[in-house]
Amino acid sequence: MSIATQLILNGIIAGAIYALVASGFSLIYGVTKFMHFAHGAVLATGAYLLYTFAVMAGLNFWLAVVLAIMVTSLFGAVMNWVVYKPLRKIKASSAVLLIASIALMTFINAAVLAIWGADVKTVPTVNPVFDALGARVTFIQVIIIVVSILLLLALWWLMKCTKLGKAMRAVADNKEVAQTVGINPEKIYTYTFIIGSFLAGVAGVLIGIEQNLYPQMGVSLVIKGFTGAVIGSLASIPGAVLGSFILGLVENIGIWWLPSGYKDAIAFVLLFIFLLFKPSGLLGKKVREA
Amino acid sequence: MAKKKSVKDTSKFLQLRSVESGYGKLQILFGVDMDINPSDITLIIGPNGAGKSTILKSMFNLCDVYKGKVMYKGKDITKLPTHDRIKMGIAIVPQGRQVFSGLTVKENLEMGAFMTKEKELINTRMDEVLGHFPVLRKKLYDNAYSLSGGQQQMLAMGRGLMQDPQLLLLDEPSLGLAPKTMQEVFEKVKEIRDEGTAILMVEQNAKAACEFADKIYVLEEGRVAMHGGREILKSDKIKKIYLGGHEK
Repeated sequence: MSIATQLILNGIIAGAIYALVASGFSLIYGVTKFMHFAHGAVLATGAYLLYTFAVMAGLNFWLAVVLAIMVTSLFGAVMNWVVYKPLRKIKASSAVLLIASIALMTFINAAVLAIWGADVKTVPTVNPVFDALGARVTFIQVIIIVVSILLLLALWWLMKCTKLGKAMRAVADNKEVAQTVGINPEKIYTYTFIIGSFLAGVAGVLIGIEQNLYPQMGVSLVIKGFTGAVIGSLASIPGAVLGSFILGLVENIGIWWLPSGYKDAIAFVLLFIFLLFKPSGLLGKKVREA
Repeated sequence: MAKKKSVKDTSKFLQLRSVESGYGKLQILFGVDMDINPSDITLIIGPNGAGKSTILKSMFNLCDVYKGKVMYKGKDITKLPTHDRIKMGIAIVPQGRQVFSGLTVKENLEMGAFMTKEKELINTRMDEVLGHFPVLRKKLYDNAYSLSGGQQQMLAMGRGLMQDPQLLLLDEPSLGLAPKTMQEVFEKVKEIRDEGTAILMVEQNAKAACEFADKIYVLEEGRVAMHGGREILKSDKIKKIYLGGHEK
């Protein structure tokens, strides 16, 4: 087994998860123009819903997966209607919406803790191990990579080729002009939250199958997704995906030289480097100050 | 573009009656009355801050109308949502060459027909719009931000025409354009009028725009100070309004 191949493969797997988180985060940020940090809590809800349906309720595993993702998508839309829409109605600034998203994340984390408890949960699955290119990979890890790539391609198609995707880009570009052609921005925000939360739900389910569940899991993942998005470009979905894979690879290759406890520190160092020297990200356009 | 059906009762095409509007607590218009005929170019001129753009916004539900009525083809549309006004045949081209800069020219035009479901109809309209603005045909797959100022203005107008409107509201189409480009834009405005679309245009460049306007409204401090045909340009009152009461 080659250590280098194993580390690269681990980096790709981590990058695939981060990319799902980052693409949803970046989509919501791009359209609504505020950072929805509660996106991480949505992801954790997805993972815990899978546990509830598959383990606690004993439903068929695939039915539990579908239900968990559907309810998570709806949960995102409800968050938009209940918290963000009333704030937009009173013309709250992006800073106020950001604070609301952090408060929402804290509230949901507390609710997860109250409902499911603090102890670590596991969704039992059959997970055979393969040898591929000199590295060890599990069946679920292969699923993570394939599902992530397929979903990211579907998201690209949605944004580029469908009327809804173009309308989302139009609202992201110029909300006032979008209104003059008959686009209802509030409807577009709802769709954006549903799609973004769907991606978070899929990420939550995939992590729920592969790893243990704990109430704070969404916080570290949304920070990784955010870091990936900053590296690539916060407002560009392809940028966020690229940045996420770079983050996954750097984190996993970095622990070849550093103790594994420094894995999260690597992400923060990368975040600071990009915020200082390339805040627009690798694929972002340079913003000129007025 | 095919000539549009004529509106039977021309006196009831678009009317503003005692309209008072503004933004929140800031009132801009005070009892504005206007009558716009179909197939006319109606021009609104006046000094900065007179409330010209607010008139257009009042017709498109983009500001607060406190009092008065906006009537279109005999129907009261004062409280009607924007998308219903679009369905009734009103389109607006906002000030400042506003395009969807990250979308291609083709996507911008498609968004102009957002309310239209039939794909064939969208393609037909796009062909007609590109007939008006051939320069856009060559740049169909370029992002709108890469266009020149004049091309962006044409794209914004083309996007408005994609809705096949009977009334096109144009907010300062010549703003920031070179004189030659401005003349091209005004030529296009005339072409659109000749094909049967009524145009209500706000313009700072009064001298150039008045040459082809059928009717002119002069606005001063949120009120209609004068209205009539091109002959009103010779009036001394116009000079007073534009020069702040000091005649040369």
